[in-house]
Amino acid sequence: MNLQHSVMSNVLRPYLAAVRSTLTAALTLENFSSQVVERHNKPEVEAGTSKEVLLNPLTISRNENERVFIEPSINSIRLSIKIKQADEIERILCNKFTRFMMQRAESFIVLRRKPVPGYDISFLITNTHTETMLKHKIVDFIIQFMEEVDKEISEMKLSLNARARIVAESYLTAIQG
Amino acid sequence: MILLEPHNVIIQTTILEKLQKPGSLDVVFVDYDNVRFHLSTPERKTQLLLSMNIRCWDELVQYGALDVLRREYGSLLASKVEPEYNVSLEIDLEQAPSDPEAREAFVESLALLKRNALSAPFERGFETQKQLESSGGQGELMQVHYRDEEAMYIQAAPDRVTVIFSTVFREETDRIFGKVFLQEFVDARRQPSIQNAPQVLYSSRDPPLEIRHVPGLRNSEEIGYVTFVLFPRHFTKSVAPATISHIQLFRDYLHYHIKCSKAYMHSRMRYRVTEFQKVLNRAKTEVATTERKTASGRTMVSR
Amino acid sequence: MSVLAPIICDNGTGFSKVGFAGNSDPSFVFPTAIATRGSASQSARAPAVPSKPGHLASKRGVEDLDFFIGDEALANAKTPGYGVHYPIRHGMIDNWDHMERYWEQTIFKYLRAEPEDHYFLLTEPPLNPPENREQTAEIFFESFNIKGLYIAVQAVLALAASWSSNRVTDRTLTGTVIDSGDGVTHVIPCAEGYVIGSAIKHIPIAGRDISQFVLNLMRERGEMATVPPEDQLKVASKVKENYSYVCQDVVREFRKYDEEPYKYFERYDGEHSVTGRKYSVDVGYERFLAPEIFFNPEIFSSDFLTPLPEIVDDVIQSSPIDVRRGLYKNIVLSGGSTMFQHFGNRLKRDLKQLVDRRLDASVAASGSTQRSSGVEVDVISHKRQRYAVWFGGSLLASLPDFYTSCHTKAQYDEIGPSICRRYQIFGSST
Repeated sequence: MNLQHSVMSNVLRPYLAAVRSTLTAALTLENFSSQVVERHNKPEVEAGTSKEVLLNPLTISRNENERVFIEPSINSIRLSIKIKQADEIERILCNKFTRFMMQRAESFIVLRRKPVPGYDISFLITNTHTETMLKHKIVDFIIQFMEEVDKEISEMKLSLNARARIVAESYLTAIQG
Repeated sequence: MILLEPHNVIIQTTILEKLQKPGSLDVVFVDYDNVRFHLSTPERKTQLLLSMNIRCWDELVQYGALDVLRREYGSLLASKVEPEYNVSLEIDLEQAPSDPEAREAFVESLALLKRNALSAPFERGFETQKQLESSGGQGELMQVHYRDEEAMYIQAAPDRVTVIFSTVFREETDRIFGKVFLQEFVDARRQPSIQNAPQVLYSSRDPPLEIRHVPGLRNSEEIGYVTFVLFPRHFTKSVAPATISHIQLFRDYLHYHIKCSKAYMHSRMRYRVTEFQKVLNRAKTEVATTERKTASGRTMVSR
Repeated sequence: MSVLAPIICDNGTGFSKVGFAGNSDPSFVFPTAIATRGSASQSARAPAVPSKPGHLASKRGVEDLDFFIGDEALANAKTPGYGVHYPIRHGMIDNWDHMERYWEQTIFKYLRAEPEDHYFLLTEPPLNPPENREQTAEIFFESFNIKGLYIAVQAVLALAASWSSNRVTDRTLTGTVIDSGDGVTHVIPCAEGYVIGSAIKHIPIAGRDISQFVLNLMRERGEMATVPPEDQLKVASKVKENYSYVCQDVVREFRKYDEEPYKYFERYDGEHSVTGRKYSVDVGYERFLAPEIFFNPEIFSSDFLTPLPEIVDDVIQSSPIDVRRGLYKNIVLSGGSTMFQHFGNRLKRDLKQLVDRRLDASVAASGSTQRSSGVEVDVISHKRQRYAVWFGGSLLASLPDFYTSCHTKAQYDEIGPSICRRYQIFGSST
């Protein structure tokens, strides 16, 4: 168990490192007014109205179930995460957790209210964010989120199993005669 | 609170209160499994009428519920049942025992009205098992449709009584949580401390053999069947009442704990979200803001 | 549709009132308190992580089920290891973890209802942020899978409760609510079911202050000498509840008492809560002086000096002009501290005087010979005043419109918690 765990975290580290450096590199954003509509200034990656300001999107994949999709553009960048879900319990817990967070997107400034299709959670960072916040700390936040979300989901699963066991045992103890 | 209590708190508190200080009363309330109660003083303040409506009354009567209630409540059982209800008890507060302990016990027994009505098929099942011990064969399959889509089935055999619950999970989360819980019920007997507990079997979709012939069973994703195999040691004279109280609340117990787990998940997530929040807040640059005030002393707030 | 009665849950800062629609009184009234493991001071933000699944004999992993609510919470306050928390502060939910568990036990232990089978009506204070509604909806729909939910503003329910009074002929949701509980008194104007938030006023005088005032009066007279110190406040609040009334004229009332003390003085008999020793005290002027602090606050407090009728008048005057008549015409009382005899009459008289004086002044100032037709002022008292908010909920939830005004689980699943930001107002006949 321990050995397996350390192997896992070894694989996790390069994955997170790749996300970190890609994201840091992509976070070179500048103010950019819309070329299509006068006096509009929108995240180009969301508006998608001028092709020439969108950069090549990129996928960083740890395995088939875990990947990060980064879509850069001139004034904004969208980062979507597919979180590991080994079974239907993890799927439902992951779904609950991401929904709970997105429900509170207001206070998470860079969090998108809905994920990009095919992913579990998406972040949208615009030039306003990089101007008012520390860039490397935003990156830290995303990396820490990725690190902890897996841990949290597996802990939730463990605690669910533990609860279920206690509940079953308490009930059966009461009627064992 | 891990285990659910068998008695109804509203009946208990209200009657205790009225024993102290009689007063006119007219309240409706509920209990688990679609049970409705009406507690009133139709004639005078010391004469309470407690009526119960239970969805599966006709089935319960068929399995001897009236005999059980007559045994438990005797003359309290009203001859004329209140309309829209299935059974009524007439309680004369002046006739209640005056000894504090006896009084508590009296009120407690009233609060167990629903439990006693539902215990009829179980008692019959336990009796049938005794008879079958010598004669062999199978007892009648008793069906109790206590909720719209859920039912319990009780059948006696020469060496055991089988109790089967069908339970519906309306939501996907509940279905998956329910599966985890039920799997633990099945596995729990491996623990040395509870080896004597009844055997539990669980199947989703497919009804177990005993009830497969029953018409109208659905087999869809959201339905699950739980089988308890009770051996005579689970219903000896001394433990039978406790077993009945627990087993008839099985469905509610399961759903109660599924909901508690979801509440627990919520508190974990709340904690986690505030933690993430702190991390993100570290990214915010601290802008040195000097407080700006208008001439009248009001503060300016930027939105 | 559902045959099971909807559940009405009115969670206040001090007490929660819960029960089933159709009844005239809540089934349970108990403190909004929860006793959990871990001391009260230690902010138990981090939920206990089940440390070792496997060590199950010790029941680790379900610590969050080990708690008490209501009266049982207070009874367990002294049990080592438990700490009491009050999840609601100033009418708003402060600790969602505690509140969720509080509701959990309310439903499963006390009401014994399967939430999947019930509609729920919850109450909220005026000016509750919509985010709080969303969080509440999230708990009720996701944790408890309830059938449908309606969240109503407490003041509006208090207005609905006044429909039970036989003096009310049209069921309107326009009116001024005076809600006085234990901690604070609110004056809330409502127009057609919506609270006029900008005009709300709070008065820092309520039940607790009246008890304290009674206690001061009785101490000054030396009555409390025979009462053990720990029981004094309890005696004062009993005196307040059982003997107090509002008089029409303080000076005349004093004279009445002095002329015939035997007729008006009462005797209160009590028993020491620990030793069982009997004592008795005389109850005198405090009978009419206690509620007088609403009308002449200077007799009790030195920093709050505006009488209640003046505040009510201010509130109505700062509301939009087109609803003022409706607000004067329908002043509704709610909460235990408005239960004093003749409270409504006195308020009506004082307020009427204020309004008439202003009308006369404006007639005189205009110099015209035409007279105003006057403003109708009416204060509604009714039998259900004590739990008016809960009773109003019970009344509304018994209407057939209730089910169509609720948001159902299916709607929630489709749209999400934001659906609960808005609720349709229903039930009024105007």
